[in-house]
This record gives sequence, structure tokens and C-alpha cells, in this order.
Amino acid sequence: MLLAFLGAVLAACGAQNGAQDSVQNSVQDGGQNGGQDGGQLTLAAPRDLVAGPQDPYYTHQTLRVWEPLVTVDDRLRPVPALAASWESAQDGRRWTFTLREGVRFSDGTTLTAEAVVANIERFRRIAPRPSAFFSLDAGMEAAYGKLTGVRAEAGKVAFTLEEPVADLPGRLAGFFSMVQSPKAFAASGDFAGGPVGTGPYTLAEWVKGQRAVLTANPHYHGAAPAYRRIEVRVIPDANARVAALQAGEVDGLIDKGALLPGQVAAVAADSAYRVVRSPSVLTHYLTFNASREPFSDPRLREAADLAIDRRAIAEKLLAGTARPGGAFLSPAFGDLADPGPAPACDPARARELVTAAGAPAEPVTILVSSAETGQFPYTDVAEVLRAALEQAGLPAKVSVVEATKSVMEAGDYDLFLSAYSVPNGDADYLFRRFLRSDAAWNVERRLGYRSPEFDELIDRAATTTDADARRDLYHRAQRLLAADRPMVPLAYQDNPIVTTAKVGGVTQNAAYVVDLGKLVPVR
Amino acid sequence: MTAVLLRRAVELLLTLLTLSVLVFLLTSLAPGDPAEELLRRGGVQPTPADVAALRAELGLDRPLAERYVSWLLDVLRGDLGRSYADRSPVAGEVLARVPVTLRLAGAAALVAVGLAVLASVWAGLRPHSLVSRAIGFVTVAVTGVPPYVVGILLISVVAVGLRALPTGGDDGPGAVVLPALTLGLPGAATLLRLLRADLAGALRLPFARLAAAKGLRPRRTVVVHALRVAAPNAVTATGLVLAELVAGAVVVETLFSWPGVGQLAVSAIRQRDLPVVQAYVLVTAVATVLVLAVAEVLLTVCDPRVRRR
Repeated sequence: MLLAFLGAVLAACGAQNGAQDSVQNSVQDGGQNGGQDGGQLTLAAPRDLVAGPQDPYYTHQTLRVWEPLVTVDDRLRPVPALAASWESAQDGRRWTFTLREGVRFSDGTTLTAEAVVANIERFRRIAPRPSAFFSLDAGMEAAYGKLTGVRAEAGKVAFTLEEPVADLPGRLAGFFSMVQSPKAFAASGDFAGGPVGTGPYTLAEWVKGQRAVLTANPHYHGAAPAYRRIEVRVIPDANARVAALQAGEVDGLIDKGALLPGQVAAVAADSAYRVVRSPSVLTHYLTFNASREPFSDPRLREAADLAIDRRAIAEKLLAGTARPGGAFLSPAFGDLADPGPAPACDPARARELVTAAGAPAEPVTILVSSAETGQFPYTDVAEVLRAALEQAGLPAKVSVVEATKSVMEAGDYDLFLSAYSVPNGDADYLFRRFLRSDAAWNVERRLGYRSPEFDELIDRAATTTDADARRDLYHRAQRLLAADRPMVPLAYQDNPIVTTAKVGGVTQNAAYVVDLGKLVPVR
Repeated sequence: MTAVLLRRAVELLLTLLTLSVLVFLLTSLAPGDPAEELLRRGGVQPTPADVAALRAELGLDRPLAERYVSWLLDVLRGDLGRSYADRSPVAGEVLARVPVTLRLAGAAALVAVGLAVLASVWAGLRPHSLVSRAIGFVTVAVTGVPPYVVGILLISVVAVGLRALPTGGDDGPGAVVLPALTLGLPGAATLLRLLRADLAGALRLPFARLAAAKGLRPRRTVVVHALRVAAPNAVTATGLVLAELVAGAVVVETLFSWPGVGQLAVSAIRQRDLPVVQAYVLVTAVATVLVLAVAEVLLTVCDPRVRRR
């Protein structure tokens, strides 16, 4: 029986190998000559950057197959992509986007305002729709505000909104303003075939969960990319990714979490590689359960906050890939982040506060999701937090759980350590979804934060079109959060990526998007 | 004989039915709300209305028993549901990856059986040589080191250091070598211990002495005669080793980016893509049950003593 089984397997082996020889040859060319002939490049990412025909976007923005109307820079400011410029009228109830000229889709057809409108209308039709990258919300309201219409007017795209939206370009930036040829979509809203965009690359081949092959788009409106073929492999295991880089099988590692914090130093020390560390939208937060004792007492929240050594967490545990947390909005938000004083580390004052308020009899629970311990050293961070709290007189224990949602909804935690990110420059998103008195996060996860003052500030900011006034409102909201402490930022995470020294032109924006079209071989 | 087979078939059906209930409960009772986690995968905190709508769409709001029956009927029709992650049919994706895992498992089985037979024959021929003792030592060491560590060692020495073989993927015939070694070594150690001891025992039996007295060359005595006598225990153990290969493939496929069902299962677990996890558990469990059933039937056919029981 065994022999028969082995025989069958070996026969299958032979057949498979034969079929794959041609693929293998081309792949090896890509890996080994990529940096030299300038034609081909092989990269690896932790996840599949292609999601397929049933995803709202088909591919991730990073692959540069499609382009959005608006994108963000490294400070999350909205910057033009397919829209050359935009203007608002009627206090932000009407926004008009002027399109870049001479842009064609990869099928040769011209980009028109009508095509953009068709994309937005498709989004509204298929929402809510989960995505591997950025889920479409119900009715798109959270993204766009209450949209009453979107029309093509004399070659421009005009959005009309029921209520003023101060930062529509920022909210649209990235996925929510993707533009593909309307011919790419079937009537159901799924993709009829492959993606048809305006970016420097087209998707030539996709093996789900394994690799995507990009080839240069002959109709691209900008400068032709230096690499005419890029293969992006999926290597989920962090050690396997670095091994593939060191063995010369791939020329670089990109995307969110490409290098773990603990891997950066060793790779950066080798002159054969160049590590690019840029600020990301990811922030590590500590969420308090203020709906029960002991953290319903603001003095104990303050004590816990003062007990934390953010510098040690950022520099030691996160190996210098993060900066100590301060304002609720990370520096990636530019001037929207409150420039106020950074939170102090004052264990003595923390002890006084605990003595004054009375230490709890039961240890407080620091909750960590097991899913996140693979990406960041959260068990270590939680241990350090536990030690700091105990020094301040607050007994604590760490609980690593798979389904944190049910634990939190039962209110059975005191502190929750987790990382959050925003995909575009929409500051309103974090405040409204997490901390407004009626926010899903706040209510369902039992944060117990109720502040009419905070609610009013963010509601006003969302409809204030004057940039300076809006910024001031957000600064006030953040100072309020710094005093009330429903959620405190621990560290702002960078996203380190790496290429061999033979690849130049590597830039990454705050939303992990690497512009593959700008990569160039270094001679 | 027919009666025995019939009884076995009924037993097998009951086993599979029990298995289906377990597989279904295992994933249905897992904590957490897949609908919300699905929506959060894009980094967005969904609204309760979104979550409720998706729960209804996925049928998660129906009673457990109702979900089980409709799930089982679908499975019998070959429909393993749609992936939560990208809504593609699960059956197609799992089936496409089964041959890839079988290729790895087959190569690993070859490593396990081949190494065990070669090393035990060597030890049988020269029981007191230095190499034989080293083999014993290495066997113990390999059993004690987890495959993950062996894999990382092989990657850093052979793939990164010598650049002799790829670090991962399934491109080209060389790619299977390191994962197959990693996956096959523990099985090889297990089989080797059994076979080596049984072979030594067989060589002490009178027939071996007769062969020596007759002037038969030791190599022929060991390979042709003694090995056959020593084989039964190892053959039985091979079945178990094969079953373990499928389970072990999860770790090894992740480490070596081998695009088989194990890798699929790991990414599905990370994403809480329950239909895929369910399909993986179902397929591997059914395969194991079937392999063991076939082994039992074969044993019945071969050995009259089993038939009489």
C-alpha cells in the first residue's frame, strides 16, 4: 500500500515539475538579475496585495494598477493623484474635482469625469462590502458624508452633500476614490475580468496567496517605470521573508509589517540592504475600561498613565521602530496633532495618586489579542506595563485572549493594548468611531466615556471648512482626551521596509503605499 | 469476509458523521463574531448596522442545529461554502492545494522511510561501528528538536548560507528538498528506532544464524531476510507517521511558504475565515479516517488472525 501511494505521489511530482519549469526560470531571472538589467524586480509582502474580482478594489493601491482621485503624502495630507485640483463651495456642501488631462486606462480608453462618477456610483451601490484592504461602509456615509449626488459637469466631477464636509479630499484619499475603467465592472458590481486602471502597471498574472506579476502599462500617463516587470510574492512568515531576502531570492520586502521591529537592526547593519523607515498611520493605544472600578476613578487612570515609561517601550521593546506617544493623533497627521507637552513618566506621583484613591483589592487585567502578538512584541509590552502598574501600587495581570471582542463586551477587562490605523487623512474617523459618546467602540466595548464637550468639539470640527479653526478644534479635543484619558497613545509605529542596495527610489507614504512606479535600479 | 467489510463500512459512516458534528461545532462555537472581524479586516471599525447586515447575509443569525443540517447537506453536495475573506468557493481552493500538500507529504514520507531503512540496514550490518552509534545519537537529538527549529537551521545554512536551495516556495524540483527534510526527519527517527530494534531482534533469531552458517553474505541476510521479518511494526507505524505528516505540514508549509492546504489553514485561522478552517479540518480528518480504515481492511485481508476476531 505504501509503495503504491509513494509511486502515485512521485508520478504527480514529475508531472507538476515539468509544468512548472518555465515559470521557475522566469522567476529566477527576476530574483537574481532584477537589480542589474533594470527590467525585472522581485519583491515580497506579508499578505496578498491582490484580493480578486469580488473585492471592491481588486488590488491594493501599492501595486499601482489603479490610481485614486486623491492620495496622501507622508503627513497624511491629501495630494492630487488623478484629480489635478479641487475646490469647495457652499461651506463644504459642494466639492468640484478637476481631472488630470491626457490620462488613459490600460485598455486605451480615455479617463473622463463620467468614468469617475460611474466608480463612485458603483461604490454606493455595492456598499456595505467587506474588503481585504479597506471595507466599504454602509451607504458610504461615514466616508463621504451624506452624499446627495455626484455628477460629471464640463469634464469635472462635482459632489453635492446634504451637510458640510470640511475635508472631503482627505476622506476620499486612497481606496475610496479609486478609479478604474467602468468596463472593468460587471452589472453585479464585481469585476468582469481583471482590473483596468490608469497606473504605471497592469496585473499580468495572479496566483492567489502566492504571487502577483505586474507589467508596465503602455498607456501610462506619467514617465514609464524603470522596471518593466515586477513580481510580488506572498511570504506570510516573517523569518521566511528575511531568509528569502538574504538568500537573494527577492530584492525587497514591502507593505505593512514587512520587517518586524526585532528584525530591523540586523538587516540595517548589512550594507547590502537599505531599510526605509517612515512614519505610519499605526498607533499603539491603551484603552481604559472606565465603566467599572478601579478605572472609573480618573485618579487611577492618571496614575496608570504616569506609571508608563513610553520611551522604554518605543526604544527597547519596539526596538526603536516607534516613537513615544503623546497626542491622540499621531505626528502622521501633521499639524492636526496637538503639539502640547508629551505625557510625563512620574512613578512617584503615580504612587501618591494610588494611595489617595485607594488601591484595588483585585489585580487589574491587561488584555492583549493573541492575533496581535505575532506582529508586535505585545506580551513583552504587557509585562512591562504590568510591572509599572505594580510599582505604582496597582496589582495587575496580563491576559492574552483570542476573541477580545466578547471579553470586552462583557466588560471583563481593565486595560486593552492594541494598535489602530486610519487608511486616509480623515481625523474625524478616529474620534467619531472610537470615542464620541455614541461611538460603537466606546459603547460596545464598555469604555464608559461620556463627554458632551468632546462630542460638540468633533461635530463642529467636522463641518468647519476653515483649516485653522478646524485644527484648533481638534487640538482642543485632544487636550480634553489627554485630561480625561479614555484611551492613551503609547507609541507611534514606523513601518520599516527594506530593499537591496541595488534598488533606488524607494518611498513610502503613511498608509504603507510604496510607489512601485518610482523604483529605479542603482548602477 | 463480506460481513466484516459491511460492518466496517457502517462503523466508518458513523465515525464520519460524528466527525462532521465535531468539525462543525469546533468552528461554530469558536469565540468571536466573524462578521465583525471580517468587516474590521480593512482596518475599519464597522457600524453595528453593517455587522448585523453581514451576519444575516452569512446566515450566522440562524439556530445552530439548522446551520449544521444545511452545512452537512451542502458538504455532501461538494459545496464547502464560500470564504468569508473573498467570497470565493472554498472547495475549489482546498482541492487546488491538496496535490501541493500531497507532493510535500510524499517527499517527506520518502525521507522518513528511506532514511529509516538505510540507517537501520547500516546499523544491522555493522552494529558496533562508530557510524551506528552516531545514528543512534542523532536519532535522539532529532526527536528532541521541534521541526520549526530544524527548518530554520536548514534555511539559514543551506538556503541563505550556501544558497544551494531556495528558502521557500514550490518553484522547481529543488524547492521540495528542505521542507521535505524538515517534515520527514521526525518520522524517520521514529521509524528508525522501531526498525533498528526489530532488525537487531530478527538477526538474533535462528534463521539468521542458519543463513550465516550456510555462507550467505551478511548484506543479503539483512536486506532480504531479516528486514522482512522486522518490518510489520514499522509498516504499522508508517501509517501513523503518514497521518502525522499532514498535521505537521501546517508548520512546515508556513515556514517554507509552501502553498499547500496547511498554509491555507494558517492564513485562514489568522483571518478567522471559518469556512476555510472548517474545510481544512474536515478534509484532513476525513483523509485520516479513510487512511486508517483502508489500513484496517488491508490488515484484515492479509492477516487471517485479525479476520477471526
